Amino acid sequence: MIGERVWLIVGAGVVILTVGAVYLRLGDRALAALPTVWYHRTIPWLFIGPGALIVGLTLVFPGILTVVLSFFDAKSTSFVGLDNYASALSDPVTLIALRNTALWVALLPTLAALVGLVIAVLVDRVRYGGLVKLALFLPIAVSAVAAGVIWTFMYDYQPPVAAQTGTVNALLTVLTQTDPIAWIIDEATNNYALIAATLWTQAGFAMVIFSAALRSVPDDLLEAARLDGASEWQAFRYITLPILVPTIVVVTTTVTVIALKAFDIIYVMTNGAYGTDVLSTVMYRALFTARDNGSAGAIATMLMIAVLPIMIYNLRQFRRQGRQVGSSW
Amino acid sequence: MQKVRTVSAGLLVTALVLAGCGGSPEEEQADDPASNAARQAALEAAGGEEIGGTVSMLGLLGGEELDAFLSVLKPFEEATGVEVQYEGTRDFAAVLQTRVEGGNPPDVVETPAIGEISAFAAEGNLVDLREVLGDELLEANFSPSLIETGSLDGEVFGIYSTANLGGLIWYDPSTYEGPTEPESWAELQTWARQEADAGRTPWCVALESGAASGWPASDFIDEILLRQAGPEFHSRWAAGEEAWTSPEVRAAFETYGETVAEGMAYGGTTNVLSTNFAEAANPMYEDPPGCSILQQATFMGSIITDSLPEVEPGETLDFFPVPDYNPDFPGIRSISGEIVGMINQTDQSEALVRYLATPEAGTLIAGTGRWLSPNLNVEDSAYEDPFLQRASQVLVEAQGTYSLGNSLMPQTTVDAFWRAGLDYTQNPDQLDDILATIEETR
Repeated sequence: MIGERVWLIVGAGVVILTVGAVYLRLGDRALAALPTVWYHRTIPWLFIGPGALIVGLTLVFPGILTVVLSFFDAKSTSFVGLDNYASALSDPVTLIALRNTALWVALLPTLAALVGLVIAVLVDRVRYGGLVKLALFLPIAVSAVAAGVIWTFMYDYQPPVAAQTGTVNALLTVLTQTDPIAWIIDEATNNYALIAATLWTQAGFAMVIFSAALRSVPDDLLEAARLDGASEWQAFRYITLPILVPTIVVVTTTVTVIALKAFDIIYVMTNGAYGTDVLSTVMYRALFTARDNGSAGAIATMLMIAVLPIMIYNLRQFRRQGRQVGSSW
Repeated sequence: MQKVRTVSAGLLVTALVLAGCGGSPEEEQADDPASNAARQAALEAAGGEEIGGTVSMLGLLGGEELDAFLSVLKPFEEATGVEVQYEGTRDFAAVLQTRVEGGNPPDVVETPAIGEISAFAAEGNLVDLREVLGDELLEANFSPSLIETGSLDGEVFGIYSTANLGGLIWYDPSTYEGPTEPESWAELQTWARQEADAGRTPWCVALESGAASGWPASDFIDEILLRQAGPEFHSRWAAGEEAWTSPEVRAAFETYGETVAEGMAYGGTTNVLSTNFAEAANPMYEDPPGCSILQQATFMGSIITDSLPEVEPGETLDFFPVPDYNPDFPGIRSISGEIVGMINQTDQSEALVRYLATPEAGTLIAGTGRWLSPNLNVEDSAYEDPFLQRASQVLVEAQGTYSLGNSLMPQTTVDAFWRAGLDYTQNPDQLDDILATIEETR
């Protein structure tokens, strides 16, 4: 059984490599027969062709299909215009989800950037910095579902009379002598508790990017500033920070997209109960519980529209950075 | 309906914590008469020959429950040479839908969500088991009401494989001092109220169950409605012909609400909502006990003994059936269970479903100590577990046995019902809004 599968995978690998090699070889030969000008014009298409095809099939086509389905009814049989959008926007659950998604988008990128930046800047100055970085970096390797289970235990609630088995409540009750809080049930705390759990998995990513970016801050500039009598804060504020701005943009936009896509942790920890729904949990239920292609498509399209400007901005930023690097050579 | 799904979910979490504790006690049966008989039955189900090949099965079981179920399938595999590939997932509906749309459906499905699978059958995806099994085999082994539950427009889309008896009160005989044979629900609640007034919380209630949180409340309310408003109203309600806002449904919510009212449930509302249902009984074994009675179906017995190994069935754990809620409807019991349906009709899938319908397979189901067998021809002596043996007697003595209504409803409604169970527990004063919300999802 397993052996069979291994051979299938190896076989598939061989086939893909062979087809790839033959495609490039024959394609190159065929194009080489063209006049030189045309060869140079067409050869890039030969290279990006397979990639473009795969992206088209797995991303562009389903994306367009989703938008199209959002204008049809639950079974995708008759055209209903904007009905799905209207009913989504008038549904109280979707409205709560919209509010929460906005909360996620506002908090998660800000906090991730803040925590990542502060730690990246500070740990460079201490000897055990590597250890701190490692501790913050490791959660990236934890899958979101595992993180959800871990934080369910962390936030565990026991009644005030019993021993607190959740770490957070154990600390809280011992340190402050107050009653334990049902973090993921109490509507005053649950959304923040979920965002904090996600932050745990994302702050390390931000820190690594900032750490790398800090290396590009020229030491001589900082040294000159210090010689001129700038305080550490001034040196950070007027030299390091401006140089880091493009990185901050990259980190916040990336984490914003993660916040918009947030699903696994919420699904595992609350499944959207007690007012913790976000757009993706609502979409999941519309598709797999209600089996309503139309409203699921409408919510997916709304999410897509929300992500688009961020992605475009992100791409522009990347391109600008690329140009800057290019010009400094 | 979601029994098995949620039990699996609970066990998953428990398994994460207790990974490594305990083995599988279902391994040893190789040569006992029950397995031999099952092998014989399996061979007959396959037409008398070793047909070999594989059959894929999609269900919700995991952990020790899956081990127990696979031990029932083992004689089938040995006798027929057919390999059963059981895939267990908590995301049953999503996985099934994806695989059907992707052109790669499982041969056989097993689920407690009868309403969900019925909708699936309505789209023409399931084979009529009346043709596979034949009227004779079907009617000889299953009661008319169970066949009816798995039928749609005269076609049988599913047969019960496992069953649970609902509405039991679990308690610790070494500490419990309340009535063990109460005449009525009112008598039991009067005692509970006295306990609460004396500052001791009587009820153990826990509703957390991951993505299915709230189902213990929904099942409780469902059973109350069945036995308080009567089977006729209940079946109309399950079929969507009665409004959620009707006074009967309201009354059922309120009857449940009295068990989680101030001072009645261990740890208060917050604890009820945040505790996993599998851990509901834990405070019962504290010193002094945090609570003394727990309403739950038969499967709770093995959940408690699995997670608290020091608990001795009979000595420190026992049950009595919940007494009548309404003298007009005496002796009514609710059951839930898993139903098996067929998507791809192959020699192997036919043999498997035919095997699962036999009393011999039912005897093995009973022997796992986890479930009741829905099969009419399974002897009481097949139950080695004393709880299940008594539960099967309770079923025999019942005036009427009915499926829980929420197992027959569309999943959207069930989700709303679960959510309502949580919301009502948290905000009992908003019952009107909560009922109106479920009514809207229909």
